Amino acid sequence: MGTEQQTVGPMTGKERVLAALKREPVDRTPTCNPTSVATVELMDLVDAPFPEANRQPELMARLAATGYTELGFDTIMPVFTIIQESSALGCKIQWEQKDNWPTVRMREPIWEDVDEIKIPSDFLTHQDTKCVLDAIKILKKEYGDDVAIIGKTMGPWSQAYHCFGVEPFLLLSLDDPGQTKLALDRLKEATIEFGVAQIEAGADALTLPDHATGDLVSGEYYERYLRDMHTEFVDRIPIPLILHICGRTVDRMEYIAQTGMAAFHYDSKNEPGESMEVVKERISLVGNINNPETLFSKGPEDVRGEVYKNLESGVQLVGPECAIPLQTAIENLKEIPKAVQDWHKEHARLN
Amino acid sequence: MGQTVDIGKRIELVPMDPHFHDITIALYQQGPEESPLFLVHTYSQIEGAQERIQFAIEAMTHIGNMVMTANGMLQFPCGSGHQLACRRTFLESCKLAPSDSVEPRPLQILDKKSGLTITVDSLGEGIYQVKADGKGRRADRRISAIAGGLMKLGEMEEVDGTLDTVAFPCGDSHDALVGLLLVRAPNVRAIVREQEMAASRGVLAAPSQQN
Repeated sequence: MGTEQQTVGPMTGKERVLAALKREPVDRTPTCNPTSVATVELMDLVDAPFPEANRQPELMARLAATGYTELGFDTIMPVFTIIQESSALGCKIQWEQKDNWPTVRMREPIWEDVDEIKIPSDFLTHQDTKCVLDAIKILKKEYGDDVAIIGKTMGPWSQAYHCFGVEPFLLLSLDDPGQTKLALDRLKEATIEFGVAQIEAGADALTLPDHATGDLVSGEYYERYLRDMHTEFVDRIPIPLILHICGRTVDRMEYIAQTGMAAFHYDSKNEPGESMEVVKERISLVGNINNPETLFSKGPEDVRGEVYKNLESGVQLVGPECAIPLQTAIENLKEIPKAVQDWHKEHARLN
Repeated sequence: MGQTVDIGKRIELVPMDPHFHDITIALYQQGPEESPLFLVHTYSQIEGAQERIQFAIEAMTHIGNMVMTANGMLQFPCGSGHQLACRRTFLESCKLAPSDSVEPRPLQILDKKSGLTITVDSLGEGIYQVKADGKGRRADRRISAIAGGLMKLGEMEEVDGTLDTVAFPCGDSHDALVGLLLVRAPNVRAIVREQEMAASRGVLAAPSQQN
């Protein structure tokens, strides 16, 4: 197994997560949610529905806390969306309703030229970034001793999609690598600024999604444009960072492992065994329970099967592969911590 | 610490009730697969939410002829699961506003595709025959399509290779349920599309996958 379990006494969820992010011994594998486990039923339970729970800190904190109080995860993650900073940068947001995710209207980009990139002076006091900071403060005060509070700061590749539009930015990356690097370099300041502010608010670790996804961007692209920048984030955002990239990403895991990030939040399109083989203890892996087919459409037995597969492969932290569908059944989510605990009990007996 | 308890397997969900503060209403199944009980449930604690749940339960007893147990759960009088039909009954009940009349639907509809009036006769022992008020190939095709729709929506079975007669495997009659399913049986594809759309809502896509 990737993380030792035999020699450690009982740990709090927070201790467990932080140790696993450093690949240090743990009492059992932590269950970790680096993105979102919010569901429409949990919104009802604590009267904190979308879209308000993305814009009001008390509601954001209340909904996020259910990941621990109801589902039993070792983490609390209040930043459900991927658009909080984009809103503060000036992007137009479609806030949607309770049952859907807010999105950036990328067909109405705010910038066309790299020279237009500007981080607004109110970036950290804008309602949608401040909401995150205030929610983290609330959660830190209430649950900070017990569980790991995880924040989120979006990487520059994702921000570029939001601010320039996906197609224009991808075309720029093909046509003009110099301008692309300049764009990423300017946008990275937003990533750092928001990340550091979340550390000051009380976050124990940060997810850093940067959507150089397997469907559109190659491993070679990751190396060319992002590897060094992600290494820089490790230096400038002094907290364990969990890089998140969706899709099939085995072709860039070697480069990701070189960045010094604490962990990589990986998709179910990657087999746990092959992924562990590539990263070779240089970085922890977290995930990779499938969302659309398993957590959303199947039952607890199937969830358990995927949890066990990750544990057998030595994956350091187990959780959903990405933000779960809002209609996911609570019993499937509760099965993740339950299966982790059962697996460890079974293995303790065998040992 | 938690407020959520094991209330069974969730089999259907209305994420936003248009008739009561957008609350989420779910249908849970408990007990053995062959003779389950069904629970209509919301986690909402806002005032009036339980009355809304009670309305949905009562609507299911009327439009699906389900019966309520002493502890407020639902089952079919035959004791069988009929899970797909139960889910449809739940979804149709949640579409009703408190001011709507809640009555079993007739075993007759106007088929918009053909203009024919379609009638379903209950032959007893859970067997139903689909008829049309016209003859010819077109009428036969519509009868066959609607019988097929009932089979799909209600998990009914074909009877002796006929194209117009279907039956519930439990051997009991469910007239109200057939009336409910009959409304949707002429256009099952629309239901499949509706289900696919509902399932894709609330799934977060990476920016590269968004429109």
